[in-house]
Amino acid sequence: MAFYKIEDLTFTYPNCASPALSNVSFEAREGDFLLLIGRSGCGKSTLLRHMKTSLAPHGNMTGRVLINGRPLGETSERDQAMKIGFVFQHPDDQIVTDKVWHELAFGLESIGADTKTMRIKIAEMASYFGLDEVFYKNVSELSGGQKQLLNLASVMALSPEVLIMDEPTSQLDPIAASEFLSTVKKLNTELGITVIISEHRLEEAMPLADRVLVLDEGRLVCEGKPRQVAGKLCRSNSPLAGAMPTAARIFCGIGAEGLPALTVNEGRRLLNSLGLEKKLLPSAERKARDEAPAIKAEGLMFRYEKDGDDVLKGLDVSLHSGEIYGLVGGNGAGKSTLLKLLSGAAVPYRGRLTVGAEKLKGRFSAFEKRIGCLYQDPRTLFSKDTVWEDLESAAFNRDPATAKARIDEAVRLMDIESCLSKHPFDLSGGEQQRAAAAKVLLTEPNILLLDEPTKGMDASIKEVFGEKLRKLAEKGIAILLVSHDIEFCAEYADTVGFMFDGRIDSENAAREFFCENVFYTTAANRIARDVYKNALLEKEVTALALGGER
Amino acid sequence: MPSEEKGKRSRLRLIIGAVTAFVLVPLFIFLGMTVWNDRKYYIVSLIIIALSMVPFALRFEKKRQTARELVVLAAMIAIGVAGRAAFYMLPQVKPIVAITIITGIAFGCESGFIAGAMIAFVSNFLFIQGPWTPWQMEALGLMGFFAGLIFHRKDGRIPRLIPLLVYGALGTFIIYGFIVDTSTVFTVYSSEVTWKLALSTYAAGVPMNLVNAGATVVFLLLLARPMLKKLNRVRVKYGILEE
Amino acid sequence: MRKDAFGQTHPAVELFFFLAVMLITAFVLHPAVTGISLAAACAYNVYLRGRKALLFTLCFVLPFILLIAVLNPLFNHAGVTVLFYLHNGNAVTLEAVLYGIVSACMFAALISWCSCLNAVMSSDKYVCLFGRAIPVLSLLFSMVLRFVPRFTARIGLVSAAQKSTCPEMGKSPVKALKHGVSVLSFTTSWALESSVVMADSMKSRGYGLPGRTSYSIYRFDSRDAVLAALLAAFCVVSIAAMVSKRICFRFYPSIKYSSFGALSAAGYAAFALLCLLPLLLDILENVRWHSIRSKI
Repeated sequence: MAFYKIEDLTFTYPNCASPALSNVSFEAREGDFLLLIGRSGCGKSTLLRHMKTSLAPHGNMTGRVLINGRPLGETSERDQAMKIGFVFQHPDDQIVTDKVWHELAFGLESIGADTKTMRIKIAEMASYFGLDEVFYKNVSELSGGQKQLLNLASVMALSPEVLIMDEPTSQLDPIAASEFLSTVKKLNTELGITVIISEHRLEEAMPLADRVLVLDEGRLVCEGKPRQVAGKLCRSNSPLAGAMPTAARIFCGIGAEGLPALTVNEGRRLLNSLGLEKKLLPSAERKARDEAPAIKAEGLMFRYEKDGDDVLKGLDVSLHSGEIYGLVGGNGAGKSTLLKLLSGAAVPYRGRLTVGAEKLKGRFSAFEKRIGCLYQDPRTLFSKDTVWEDLESAAFNRDPATAKARIDEAVRLMDIESCLSKHPFDLSGGEQQRAAAAKVLLTEPNILLLDEPTKGMDASIKEVFGEKLRKLAEKGIAILLVSHDIEFCAEYADTVGFMFDGRIDSENAAREFFCENVFYTTAANRIARDVYKNALLEKEVTALALGGER
Repeated sequence: MPSEEKGKRSRLRLIIGAVTAFVLVPLFIFLGMTVWNDRKYYIVSLIIIALSMVPFALRFEKKRQTARELVVLAAMIAIGVAGRAAFYMLPQVKPIVAITIITGIAFGCESGFIAGAMIAFVSNFLFIQGPWTPWQMEALGLMGFFAGLIFHRKDGRIPRLIPLLVYGALGTFIIYGFIVDTSTVFTVYSSEVTWKLALSTYAAGVPMNLVNAGATVVFLLLLARPMLKKLNRVRVKYGILEE
Repeated sequence: MRKDAFGQTHPAVELFFFLAVMLITAFVLHPAVTGISLAAACAYNVYLRGRKALLFTLCFVLPFILLIAVLNPLFNHAGVTVLFYLHNGNAVTLEAVLYGIVSACMFAALISWCSCLNAVMSSDKYVCLFGRAIPVLSLLFSMVLRFVPRFTARIGLVSAAQKSTCPEMGKSPVKALKHGVSVLSFTTSWALESSVVMADSMKSRGYGLPGRTSYSIYRFDSRDAVLAALLAAFCVVSIAAMVSKRICFRFYPSIKYSSFGALSAAGYAAFALLCLLPLLLDILENVRWHSIRSKI
């Protein structure tokens, strides 16, 4: 029954010259799985929010949003609360109460359900979404993936007919993200719930969708089945081409005709069927590491509580100037803990830490030792009213005399001229990340520690950010990149280490590291490994297949 | 017309609340001290405190608050409770009173009372609960109430610093200190309160109250302006707190 | 903290128990009654929290009792049985000493009961009890508890992030204060901005619609009814004994107490049973559990 029709929707935010959405029209039929894609800031969230009256932003709107053939405004708030489920981006921000059971009950309480109905619904939700084990727990004890599942479950408790989701997996690690997406798909196929979802994890999301809508600068530029859209975008020079599934990009990149492959499996079959000559890329020389490392950790042991388990178990790692070191590994392997130790926020109970030639003992000031940290959430670094003031405060801390010149340089390097007079919280995610990086750079670090910097970034922003990191490395900064983002590490890291169980067991130049792995490697490598064993990136695979020199 | 009537009724409720809090409560305490023979101060004062909270609670429940108002209020209360974590190096100073005052200024007197009482309750719930909990709730609640009464402006104007600091110092020393010390008198000496004992307890409390008042002044000096500015920003950007 | 049988009962029963015990303790200053209450409170606290509570009792409660016992006679000179005179001529009386000890025990008992209350009454129990009467405040309470651990973690994160962009804070209190203030300021910015999403999520799930109900995971079953009846009976008997002055203790001017009789015996017994009810329930449960297991 849930049947959406958007007719000629145009929307302008107050005090904005250009519209955020212009003349958007589309339809969502009952049981559709609709995927909405587009670059950050293209109007995806604005569009999705217009599909529920209580979330619609203030501004000037023309056009119509119809549900079941009637304007949305004619459907009562109560019906909308029940029939239209909405899941937001940040798992943590949208949980209201402190207990899991209470969160599941929240929507039912709001619509005034009686205790008996609630009891049945809540029991059903908890067992379907696998939350029965954590039912009585505090929300703060859940993992990110569990939190987002809880959000989905508490929306589903109201038995909605349509689920609208705004980049629900952008803050999750890859495993939790694919679990979340498959749960959503299950709801769609098993219960016939209409799904409208915006995503930038297209590798996983594209194959699930029935139809894909492409939004660019507030306009609907393309609409169709996933393969059609992937084919069209990959063959165009759209900035979204880089975000398409690797299989589709390789398919189009090598000039194959027809509807492209979408999954790794299809891509593999395609490449293997072409009878290509096996080739190897020359392994890049591992950067000379003869000079003393910028920071070196030996045999670090750490635990949080006296009687607790060891989180780090004799970890060794060294970072060299000019090198980007990618650190990958599962959740709970101790990656964040390592960052705490390297930045002086926690002290190992055994082991040695050396910065330059100096041995460090106990807590130390990261600022004094020229260690810059960029944590997962760039917003931890902002407190002033404008980006400029924030940058200024950091620059003055290091050296007031040269502050101005250094600010100019950092602003240019990170490309944030247009953000300077804005409030830091009004920036988009990618801009925030770059502004935070600029702020850290102004303290002139020799070592830069990054924790999941690409979380929530779309493909084109990632590329920009990656290039900036390269530039920093060229300037001689040692960079530690802790990330779940294998594709990003494969493209930008020089050396990659795999962290497991409190230690870094394997460490190698990026190419050698990834092509040895079966699961823990890039999609392009999984597609092409039978033919081009050590190709990691889509562009390498296509170049090899086209016979070009590289 | 109806809105005017509504305004009148809400003013009436405010007056009832104020009368309960500031006339009935001291009166009962006075009666308890002088007239009643049994002199069960602890219990009597407990009842009084419960009584004084009822009108605030009811008014707060009746007020149709938007989700945004409620969430921002909850956030400020949580900042008040969690704020101590930022000063782990200085265990004796906590920004609790200052945050209560700031919340009262931003949200008005009723929400100020609720915020203060809730900060005290949750702090005690999470850290250490004792027979003093109701008094702390009342004391902080009143700090928030008066802050709202004196400084809250509908347009979100930030109050002048000097009066604010004076209120912070005197309020913490007199209102907060007096109420919390009274709780000590009542609980420890239960039914045999003598003026001498009471005075000696108040005298013993002076240094601690001075430290608290000083901390409040410093925190208000450093936090009031930036925090109120942030609250104003949220108010403008998201249309919260507008009536 | 241990899972105890009493903590599994309906929150209304639990709250009733704590209110009854604490009010009687605060109201009746009587060496036997206060002693029973203190002993039961400490025992239950140690049972719930283990070694920690034992340490708390030994390091805080005992010295406190001694302190008040010494302080009270110094300020209070009522009473007729003079033990000795201070060098300023004031008398230290037996009545004042005894009064000090008993009132300190009362205070200690209240604190210990509060500690038990905190261990037993989790936030969902308050929400369940008050969700219907004061729904908005209950929700606010739950939201605050949702925020506090998040904000505390955030403060830690911001503090660490600050360290890499600001010079060392050092040990000086002024710098520590400045650091704390700026961390708090950063955290507030973030908290206020991110709370707006929470408000959207509430609205999206229908918050603000008229006729909101309140869910409770606790059910009042027959066992709870039996317990509540027991509690009420114990309360009635002990209060009757106290009101009718069969349990009565006067400190000033001279110590005078009620004679021991049938009703006073019943009163003591009822109060003791009342205070020990949670522990008895646990013992009963353990015995039953073991007998079931031994039959398997």
